[in-house]
Amino acid sequence: MRIRSRTQRIGDWVIVLLCVFVIFICLLPMVNILARSLSSPEALMRNEVLLWPKGLNFDAYQYVLKDKTYTWSMTWTAILTAIGMTLSLVMTTICAYPLIYPQLKGRRIINTFIIFTMYFNAGTIPMYLLLKDLKMLNKPIVLIVPYCLSVFNMIIMKSFFYSIPDSLRESAQIDGAGPVLVLVRIYLPLSTPVIATLALFYAVGRWNGFQDALMFMNVRKYYPIQLLLYNLINAISSIEVAIQEGFSTPGLNETIKTASVMFATVPILLVYPFLQRYFITGATLGAIKE
Amino acid sequence: MKRLLVLLTVLALLLPLSLFAQGAKEATTVAELGPDGRFTTTRKITVEVFDRGVDDGRTPAENNVWTAWIKAEVLKKYNIDVTFVPVPRWTETDAINNLLAAGDAPDVCYTYSYPTVQQYAAMGGVTDLAPYVEQYKHLLPNLFNLLEEINVYNNLDPKTGTLWALEARQFYPHRNSVFVREDWLKKLGLAAPTTHAEFEAMLKAFKDNAQLLLGADASKMIPMSISVDIGWMGDPLTTSFVPEGLSDELLWALGYDDRRIMWPGYKDGIRLLNKWYNLGYIWKDFPLYPFGDQTYHDNLVRAGFVGAFMHNWDYPYRAGGIDIQTTLAQTGGSFIAVDPFPNDAGLYRKYLPSTTGDRKIFFPNTNKEPLASLLYLEWLSTLENRKYLQIGPVGVTHKVLDSGAIQIIPAAVPEWIQNSADNIDYTMVINGKDMGSAQLNGLSLGLGYSGVDPRYLEESYRIEQNDGRIVKNFTVGTLEAQVGLDNVLRDKRNDFLVRAVVAPTAQFDAVYDAGWNDYLATGGRAIIRERLARYEEIFGVKIQLPAGYVL
Amino acid sequence: MRRPTTALQARDTGSDRRKRFKLYMHKYWTLYALLALPITYFIIFKYIPMTYIQIAFKRYSIVQSPWKMPLANNHGWQYFIQAFRTPDFLRALRNTFMLNFLDLVMGFPAPIILALLLNELPFKGFKRVTQTVAYMPHFLSWIIISGLARQLFAPTSGLVNIVIQRLGGNPIPFLNKPVHWVATYVLLGVWQSMGWNTIIYLAAITAINPELYEAADIDGAGRLQKIWYVTLPSIKGTIIVLLILALGNILGGGFDRPYTLGNPLVRNVSEVIPTFVYSWGIKGLQFSLTTAVGLFQSVVGVFFLLGADFLAKRAGERGIV
Repeated sequence: MRIRSRTQRIGDWVIVLLCVFVIFICLLPMVNILARSLSSPEALMRNEVLLWPKGLNFDAYQYVLKDKTYTWSMTWTAILTAIGMTLSLVMTTICAYPLIYPQLKGRRIINTFIIFTMYFNAGTIPMYLLLKDLKMLNKPIVLIVPYCLSVFNMIIMKSFFYSIPDSLRESAQIDGAGPVLVLVRIYLPLSTPVIATLALFYAVGRWNGFQDALMFMNVRKYYPIQLLLYNLINAISSIEVAIQEGFSTPGLNETIKTASVMFATVPILLVYPFLQRYFITGATLGAIKE
Repeated sequence: MKRLLVLLTVLALLLPLSLFAQGAKEATTVAELGPDGRFTTTRKITVEVFDRGVDDGRTPAENNVWTAWIKAEVLKKYNIDVTFVPVPRWTETDAINNLLAAGDAPDVCYTYSYPTVQQYAAMGGVTDLAPYVEQYKHLLPNLFNLLEEINVYNNLDPKTGTLWALEARQFYPHRNSVFVREDWLKKLGLAAPTTHAEFEAMLKAFKDNAQLLLGADASKMIPMSISVDIGWMGDPLTTSFVPEGLSDELLWALGYDDRRIMWPGYKDGIRLLNKWYNLGYIWKDFPLYPFGDQTYHDNLVRAGFVGAFMHNWDYPYRAGGIDIQTTLAQTGGSFIAVDPFPNDAGLYRKYLPSTTGDRKIFFPNTNKEPLASLLYLEWLSTLENRKYLQIGPVGVTHKVLDSGAIQIIPAAVPEWIQNSADNIDYTMVINGKDMGSAQLNGLSLGLGYSGVDPRYLEESYRIEQNDGRIVKNFTVGTLEAQVGLDNVLRDKRNDFLVRAVVAPTAQFDAVYDAGWNDYLATGGRAIIRERLARYEEIFGVKIQLPAGYVL
Repeated sequence: MRRPTTALQARDTGSDRRKRFKLYMHKYWTLYALLALPITYFIIFKYIPMTYIQIAFKRYSIVQSPWKMPLANNHGWQYFIQAFRTPDFLRALRNTFMLNFLDLVMGFPAPIILALLLNELPFKGFKRVTQTVAYMPHFLSWIIISGLARQLFAPTSGLVNIVIQRLGGNPIPFLNKPVHWVATYVLLGVWQSMGWNTIIYLAAITAINPELYEAADIDGAGRLQKIWYVTLPSIKGTIIVLLILALGNILGGGFDRPYTLGNPLVRNVSEVIPTFVYSWGIKGLQFSLTTAVGLFQSVVGVFFLLGADFLAKRAGERGIV
């Protein structure tokens, strides 16, 4: 147990208070949504729910859990996320790694070539036409491949690789190891924080994303969960449609809306705590002689 | 040799590019209809259907008992094989954009926005219906019967003779009613207001008696609620300031904006709303809530805090999700329609849309079966067919009362649940229940709303049509000035009206005029000018703007 | 190439170069093999659709391929001219710069500070809890957040304002007056993204060699000194990279936040380029205009990116390109 001076202890408690404040303001909306999902529709109607459910009932959750489309979509999105995340990590790694070699011929050009794509894109129609020509529309693969490699994430990984001392790489090369071996034996083991980070980014990106499914996927059973949610929220609240058409979609209400939000959000929230153990301190780095 | 190789390479490279070229498909040769009215060879067509994306026990829009029935019947009658193509309702324009670009659009499409059709047509993506409608008119009696010439030819361009879309029939043209809490009137001993002053006095009475009316919730009293789309939820009030007796042509020329803000006298209506807002009679926080989502507003109404509001003629009575009347009934509240806004001639003038204004049906340029598609619409327009789609089988989705009136009942079997009320997603030619006779329709009018006493609906409908005047539409073809601006102008209109209502009364004129001028400068002025010019060109008459009207 | 000093070296023949090249490839061919798949991906899914950008200069037709569409007026510049002639666009441009700049100033340091705070927490369990909770707002869509914001900040019915009035004060126009709205907009943005953005910084911090901290301890460094002399310099690379990327996004920014939080009373500050494009371009089916504005955003973004990258390299950092 380290001996901490008085100023250090005060500092500690100041930090703790700040963190408590952060927890409070960040937890507020989740608690609000949870409370709403457990309240009665009447209480929601009167806008009386802030942090605590009123008129406690579980009807909304029963409704959501009973509906096979939700539970299936959840499972399906989890599968998509797992596959997509793995593919993305592999692609990101094999893209970032070669670019750290200063002696790589054409490095500048390739870098520019890749970063260019971050900025210039032409919208949905050309993507739609391309996917149609590749016969990928309405097939599960369209939710995995087209956006599997994020340049932003690749730059992050590259930046992390840079922080690993060159001497490690060079001494391995002297020992006769090829680049792939260096990647597998040296860089990957040292990169668990960044891999965990990017795994989280890709997983969350896939789980929360629905724009691509909205445009390119028409088959109901392959809808990711957020697309279901999007349709649901629109069906409940789209007033323009209600005015144009002269009727409103029957049968849905706000408690179901909030229950669906909880349902769709909670699983992915649990991924980070699970990955946190990979954010270990750089103990391994310290063990390597410079 | 080398030159030959280069030539071949160039040609090889050009070939894939040429594959991208897609001009308009050529018109089909005359289809063969046998003596029994059926095609000699089975024709295939694809039809758009909205997919609302919601399950709740409902069936896929493109594959359910209704589509099965349609397919079987149409095949039997015309030897046409119909396939339904689902298009997501919430992103319908984007989806159609994609489909059109890829050449995959369904043969028969519909949309609520005519400018959209015009723009597709300008890009070469729409089939001209004029020649087909002319040529096959004798085969389409039911279609012409239902839509009548006015709807069929509503969009006929007088100059070029092109017809890009047919107008579906809005069976019950309606606008908005003014709804007031019947129970509050009773409690305060007030009669239903019949003038602006009485309405204002009523609002004041609501405000002053908040304690009596709402008890513990007195601080939440909202005498009158409104939304960001002031043009819609203030419509009965604002149009009452329009002078009586304006000509059809003038109303049309200045009627570009559906909310009619360009009609003379409109500003005075907004001025009154501004006065009421500053007196505290209108919901204070309304500017913050986007029109797109009315849950918040509706919640306030359902919770019983609101004394009056204006909306579609049947809005408080609609079931499922809205449920205003049925929710209030639990605590003894109810909304009744009133007619409180006479115009300068003492008439309670209601400016009703004509039977057009619902959906526009169009055929993309990839449609290779125009006759088959028209015959499909003909089949849909036939009374027995659309009636069945609207009310379903007896005993399952409706029952017949002794008077002969039709009452809708919740579907006994889940697979018969309609994805859209009256199945309008399938009956694209009509919006509104038509049972075949005016009498039957009148009897059945109020029975489509479960849990609500029909007298409320009848009263609302009566008021809606009282002193009603249909606003005529004149077709002058595509307006250049209008292209791409509808959405922009609509947003601007909402914005400046909100700012004008919320402004302190002393600043009202400045704020309104600033917004008005911005609206005109962005395109409003150019559109009206073009309307006037085109009208003069085609009909030979110059429309006079009222004295003092500044454009 | 070294200046030849001997006759032997002077003859750097083609065969020597070829030999060097062969040696190089023998050593590094696997790197190119690894890059093959990503590059193919970029060509197919990024560069092929990119050819569509030319519609910014053409009159769009939904049934034609972009190569066939006719050129727009003014040698193709029609839509750019149209945009810059539209007062609404100029206003949106100004607002985009302003709001993104404020986002950067307020929102860029926040996650760094939070990451440093979290790193200093002595209680490991508490650290995990804070981390997990802090990034929850990131998962909520702006539709939900804006609904909540209205519930709290509406002028008369917002809970915060009700409390303020009970305490005797005047309600604060968080969302309905322009200046207040900008502050609310930026603060909500910081709140939503700060927890999420700490993840990268925390990952970078965990990679710091603990021996550095031990050395600092031995030198008698206090908490703040350790942060200043050890932690911050060690994550400097990450900070610079993220800053460059953020600057490249100066004319971008999301659509959801300004769209859902905006309302008619603050339109003159809430209209940004993405909402402008949504209204004028997308909803109006003006594909060419949409693409033209997007192209403009991209070019400006790249300009800022390269500029920031250049400055970073000048300061001795590695940069991105």
